[in-house]
Amino acid sequence: MTPSIRSERKYLEILRILAESHEPLGAKRLSEKMAERGFVLSDRAVQYYLQYLDEMGFTEKVGNRGRLLTEAGIAESESALVDQRLGFIISRLEQLAFRSTFDPSTATGSVAYNLSFVREEDLQAVTAAFDEVAAAGYGFLNAYRIVDADPRIPDGHAGIMTACSVTLDGVLQKMGIPTRLEYAGRIAVDEHGAAGFLDLIGYRGTSVDPLHLFISAGLTSINRLVTTRAGVALANVRAVPAAARYRVEVTVGLMEECGFTFPAGGGIGEFNLPKHPYRLSVVALSGMNMVGNAIEKGYTIKTEIGAGTVPFEKIADATGSR
Amino acid sequence: MHAPLKFTNHRIEEYALKVTYRPEDDTGKIIYNLSLIESRDLEFALSVMKEAHKRGITISDRLLVTGPGGQVGGYTVPDGRHGICTMCSITLDALLLQRGIPASPIGGGIVEVDGRVAQRFTSMILYRDTTLDPLEVLISQEATSILDVMRRGKGNILANIRECHMEAEQLLGTVLDELSAIGFSGILDVGAPNVPLLGVPVSPQYIGVAMVGGTNAMAAVREAGRPVVTRALKGLIDIREMDYLDDY
Repeated sequence: MTPSIRSERKYLEILRILAESHEPLGAKRLSEKMAERGFVLSDRAVQYYLQYLDEMGFTEKVGNRGRLLTEAGIAESESALVDQRLGFIISRLEQLAFRSTFDPSTATGSVAYNLSFVREEDLQAVTAAFDEVAAAGYGFLNAYRIVDADPRIPDGHAGIMTACSVTLDGVLQKMGIPTRLEYAGRIAVDEHGAAGFLDLIGYRGTSVDPLHLFISAGLTSINRLVTTRAGVALANVRAVPAAARYRVEVTVGLMEECGFTFPAGGGIGEFNLPKHPYRLSVVALSGMNMVGNAIEKGYTIKTEIGAGTVPFEKIADATGSR
Repeated sequence: MHAPLKFTNHRIEEYALKVTYRPEDDTGKIIYNLSLIESRDLEFALSVMKEAHKRGITISDRLLVTGPGGQVGGYTVPDGRHGICTMCSITLDALLLQRGIPASPIGGGIVEVDGRVAQRFTSMILYRDTTLDPLEVLISQEATSILDVMRRGKGNILANIRECHMEAEQLLGTVLDELSAIGFSGILDVGAPNVPLLGVPVSPQYIGVAMVGGTNAMAAVREAGRPVVTRALKGLIDIREMDYLDDY
């Protein structure tokens, strides 16, 4: 019987911490990180948990530097305790929204980014696909940055940062506007720029990343959109208090001046989304549209959604395609 | 103008209202899934379906095969393709509701199987949070290994879960027994009140019922590298129009 984690939330949390770390972690450092997340454990208790994880084959010792996840451990962190993983993606995104510091009135501060991994031999063709989306204005920010010196990038691959639309949520939050990221969706756009959603997946009701799901299920037609102006792109939806409408409109206007793009009418309004009398929907195009276009063309790309934050100018000036 | 979006729980309830299937006399309408395969793969697909049925990862031995140009629920099967209709597992939810059992569909996902026993859900999409059928999109994630489950009893299959109030536990048991007696085969597991089932929590005083997805066999055909397009929750069909797997 293959070992698996059944009931202990703490095991999953240790696996998650190790999955996010790109270097080995020792028991002391792990117990500090566990405490940050509300699991107070002595170093000795962490040792005990780690010993169990070693026996299960999920972690392994790297000399005396600490532990790393094994392949089985990575798989287990993506399989165990499904109810604990519903809404986990959104929680990661919210963390980044909070950490981003972008100020649209000065076009300074940091933005959240997604990090895509591309085989080096595909890099040129993939960036050409990204450029198509940028030129047509269907990225969240119509720029991207190629990175090569980053420990997260596997050998033989290049990394590409694209701006993640939770940057918008970070901006709204810092203005005191409560924002709640609700759905990822696919949005049909016609030649006149009118847009309506075809499908939605609520971030809090899925353990699988919804944007990857839309792309891999072949439910987008980003390439048709960027070449003919009619097609299906990825977008996401947050709800803000209806009373904040004016402030949101001003903010979206400022972000547009900084080069961010929003669908029809600044993304504010009802579209064909579920209605709520006191809530306003704000729709942003997904940074994943660039990735989606390249995948539609047949390239293999792995993307970490919400991989971190980066100074705005580092990504906005990188390709100059605005 | 785009129509307001319909979430899967609403779609399931709407279909459930239209199901008229009476298992005891084998009449009435059921909910079906439609899969399209290349015509040259028909023999292969049928053999996989038979094997899957033997291994208990289909929900029924009923199917309808339609050749190129044939009609299924107003849809014309294109040239060079065959359409295969199978029973959708949501038919079970309809039957429970019709018997007056307070049941609500929770969601669909992937279940890990080991030693031929369902171990836990490893992925889940809640019906109230999606307009797409979870199993239909999860097929494309290449996260299933149904052929491995068939051959070695170990791998990942498509499954879904609903919950029923514990007050109806006895009636639930009766209905499930009746259904298995007539060849409704896909019940994976039934939980105890208030206890998570295969890792999925249930509402207070509810019991979880997990069932295999109706499209596992078709997903297995796809795993074998044959092109398959599956549309879950496709529509309603009279059970008498469906044949038996043994007829093929």
